[in-house]
Amino acid sequence: MSPRPQAVTVIDLVRTFQPRKQPAVQALDGVRLDVDEGEVHGLLGPNGAGKTTLVKILTTVLLPTSGRAEILGHDVVHDAKAVRPLIGIVFGGERGLYTRLTARQNLEYWASLYRLPGAQIKARAAALLERVGLAEKADVKVETFSRGMKQRLHLARGLVAGAKVLFLDEPTTGMDPIAAREFRTLISEIRAEGATILLATHDMVEAEVLCDRVTLIDHGRILATESPRSLGRLVSRFQRVDVEGADRELLDRVAALPGVESIVESDDGHRINVDGDEHVPVVLKVIVEAGVVDVRTSRPSLEEVYVGLIGDRGLEV
Amino acid sequence: MMSSLRVMRYSVLSGAYDYTSIYTWKSWLGGWLVRVMSQVTFFALIGRLLGANQQIWFLLVGNAIMIAAMEGVFALNMVSWERSTGTLPLIAASPTSPVLVLASHGVYLVVDGTVSALGALFLLGPVFGLPLPWPRVLLIIPLTILIAASAYSLGTFLGGVVLGFRGLNSVVVNVGIVALMALCGVNVPLDAYPGPIAWVSRFLPITHGLIAVRDVLAGDLGAAGLQALAEAGVATGWLVLCVLTFGRFVQRGRRNGSLEFAT
Amino acid sequence: MRGFRSGFRLQLSFFRNYPDSLIPLLTAPLFTVVFTMVLRHGGRGDLSGYAMIAPFYMSLWWFAIFNGGWVIQTERWEGTIEYLVAAPVGFVSVIVGRISTMLLAGAVAFGEVWVFGRYVLRTNVTIHHPYVFTASLVLTLIAMTTTSLFMANLFVLSRTAVTFSNSASYPVYLLGGILVPIALLPGWLQPATNIVFLSWSSKLLRGSLSAGPIQGAAFDLSMIALLAVVALGLATAFMSRILRHARSSGELALR
Repeated sequence: MSPRPQAVTVIDLVRTFQPRKQPAVQALDGVRLDVDEGEVHGLLGPNGAGKTTLVKILTTVLLPTSGRAEILGHDVVHDAKAVRPLIGIVFGGERGLYTRLTARQNLEYWASLYRLPGAQIKARAAALLERVGLAEKADVKVETFSRGMKQRLHLARGLVAGAKVLFLDEPTTGMDPIAAREFRTLISEIRAEGATILLATHDMVEAEVLCDRVTLIDHGRILATESPRSLGRLVSRFQRVDVEGADRELLDRVAALPGVESIVESDDGHRINVDGDEHVPVVLKVIVEAGVVDVRTSRPSLEEVYVGLIGDRGLEV
Repeated sequence: MMSSLRVMRYSVLSGAYDYTSIYTWKSWLGGWLVRVMSQVTFFALIGRLLGANQQIWFLLVGNAIMIAAMEGVFALNMVSWERSTGTLPLIAASPTSPVLVLASHGVYLVVDGTVSALGALFLLGPVFGLPLPWPRVLLIIPLTILIAASAYSLGTFLGGVVLGFRGLNSVVVNVGIVALMALCGVNVPLDAYPGPIAWVSRFLPITHGLIAVRDVLAGDLGAAGLQALAEAGVATGWLVLCVLTFGRFVQRGRRNGSLEFAT
Repeated sequence: MRGFRSGFRLQLSFFRNYPDSLIPLLTAPLFTVVFTMVLRHGGRGDLSGYAMIAPFYMSLWWFAIFNGGWVIQTERWEGTIEYLVAAPVGFVSVIVGRISTMLLAGAVAFGEVWVFGRYVLRTNVTIHHPYVFTASLVLTLIAMTTTSLFMANLFVLSRTAVTFSNSASYPVYLLGGILVPIALLPGWLQPATNIVFLSWSSKLLRGSLSAGPIQGAAFDLSMIALLAVVALGLATAFMSRILRHARSSGELALR
C-alpha cells in the first residue's frame, strides 16, 4: 500500500440532474476510478455517457449527489480550495474565452487568477503562447481565431499554473488531422514532464495513442478500465494474423498448426485467429516461408472494443 | 411584384413574432410603457421648473412624439440582427432588394413606436392639463406614423453604415437617439438653434413632423399639411439614400470579413 | 486581494476593448446640451448647474447596469464562469473587483460633464459647499457600486433582468430627482423616492451649488450611506447562495 495519495480517486460517485418539468437524469451511477500519478488516463464513451459530468465534479465546478472524489488526497467537495491550485482545466470548445480580448490578455488574466507572482505572469504567458504555436497571434483578438487556435489557447490556459493534474475534455474536437496530431505531441511532452492527465474523449485513435489506461464509460457507469492493448482482450482473446494472397493449400497447412482456432475470410484476404501469443511465431514462419509477404498481426482495436461493449448506436445520441 | 410583396409580408410577420418573444403583455405594460411614460414626464417636469404651462406642454408633446422616432431608430438593430443570424449575405444575394426585406422585418417597430408615443401623449396630456382639441387631434395619429417611418428610414440607413464595423450598433443607436433629441426641435423650438444647426435639423426626421403636430394642436392645419409633406420628403430621402448605398455597404462588409461575425 | 486586482484590471481592459463602454461618455454631453438649452431658453439659465448634474447620474446608472449588473450573467454566456469558479482565487473577489471599476468610471463621468458644462457650454457654476459636495460625490459613487453588485446577483436570479435593464432608467431618474427636485413629483410618489439613494444625493449636489445654507446635510449623507450598506448586505446574502446553488444544480454556465 503506497503512502502517497493517488492523483485521482473516485468512490461510488453519483450525480443526478433534475431539469425543470422533465424526469430526472442519472448522469453518473456509482462510478469508481483510480488514476495514478504521472499516468495518462483516457475516459472513453459516447456523448451523454457522463464524461463531462465526471470531469466537472473532479474540477470542483459541480457538486456530486453522493459519493466521494479526491485529487491528490484532497476532497473535491469539502476541500475544494486545496484542489483548485493543483489542477488545470481544458474544456475546449468555442466558448470560455473573452472574445474581444487578445490571446495574451486572456492568458495573463487567467495566470493572475492562479496566483502567479506579477513578475512571472508576462513571461509565462509569452512562453506558453510560444509553446502552443500562438506566438504570432498573441496580440490578436480571440474572436477572429479558428476553432483549432481557440483549442490551443484553452490548452495554454490549462497549463498556465503548472498543474499537477490536467483535465482535458474533448480537446481535439473540430480540429483538422494535422492540428490534432500536433496537439497530441504537446500532450505527450506534458506527460513527459510528470503531469497526470485525465483525457475525456470519443476519439479512438487519440485514446489508443496517448493513454496508458482507458476507462470505458456509458450511461454513467464504468464498463472497464484497462490499457488499450488489454482492452482488446475483452472482445476477443485471440491474436489475429491477417494475410493476403494465401492460396488454399497454404491455408490448409496453417489450419493444422497448433493454436490456430479458425480461419475466416475477410475483405481483402483471410484472418487467422490464433489462441495464445506463443503460437503466433510458428504461424508467421509458415506463411512467410511460403512466400506470402502481405502479413499483419493485430489485436482487436479500441474501436472494435468500443462498438462491441457499448454497441453501435448509429447516429443516436 | 407579387413575390416581392409576399417576401415583405413574411418579413413583417416574422418580425412581429420575434417581438412577442421579447415582451409579454405584462412586461410591455409594466416595463416598457412605464419607462415611456417616465421618460416623457421626466422632460415635461422641467417645464414645471420653468413655470408656465406652455413650457410643460411643449416638452410633453415633443418628448411623447420622440418616443415614436426612438423606436424607429431601433431599426438599426434589425440590420445587425440579420447579420448575427447569418441571413444577411443570403438576403443580399437574393433577387429581392435587401432593403425591402430589412425594411419589412422591423415594421412592428413603427407600430409599437406609434402606439407608445400616442399612449404617452393621450394618457399624460390630461394629467398635465394639455388641451387636446377633438376631432382634429386625430390627425396626430397619421403624423406620428409618418415620423416613426421617417426615423425608421434613417435607422435602416445607419444600419447599413455600421455593417462594416464591429460592435458599434449600440453606440450608434444610443448616440443617434440623443442627437435627434438635441437637434430636432423636441425640447426647444427651431428658432432657438444657431442658423447652421437649424439647417441640419431640417434634413433630419422628426423636425418637420413635430412642427406639424404642434400646428395641429394650435389649429393651423394648413401649415401642418405643408410640414407633413416636408417630413414625407425627408423620409423618402433617407430611404432612397439607403437603397442606393446598401449594396455597397454589404460589399464592404463582405470584403473586410465583418459580415461573418455576430456583433 | 489578488482576485480583486485581477477582476479590476480585467474590467479596465473591457472598457478599452468594447465600444459600448463609450456610450455614456458620448451621450452625457448631448444630454447636457439638451437640458441646458431648455433651461436657458426658458429663462432659467441660473439653474444650468442642474443640467450638468443630471447627465452624470444618467452615466452612472448606465455603468451600474451594463458594466456592473450584467457581469455575472455575461460570464455565464461566455462560458468563462466555470473556469472562474475552478480557479484558486475567490470568485466573489473577482466579481467585486470587476464591479468596483465603477468608482473610476463614475469619477470620469463626473469629470467629463463638469469640464464640458463649465468650459464648453460656459455654464456659470460654483461649488459653494465643497465639503458636502465632495462627501456626497464619494458616497454616491460607493452607493452606486454596491447597488450594482446587488443588481449583478439579481440579474442571475430574476427572469426580468432584460426588461429591467431597458425600462428602469427613466423611472429611476424621476424617483431620484436627478434633474427636477422630487418636491415637484406628485405626493403619492414621495415615499418611493426615499429608498432611491439618488434622491438624497441629487438634493445634496444641487444644494452645494447654491449660495444659501444647506440643511440636514448630515442626515442626507447618512441616508446615502445606509442605502449603500443595505445594497451591500443584500448582495452578499445573494452571492453565496447563488454560487452554492449553481454548483449543486449544475447551472453555472448557460447553454
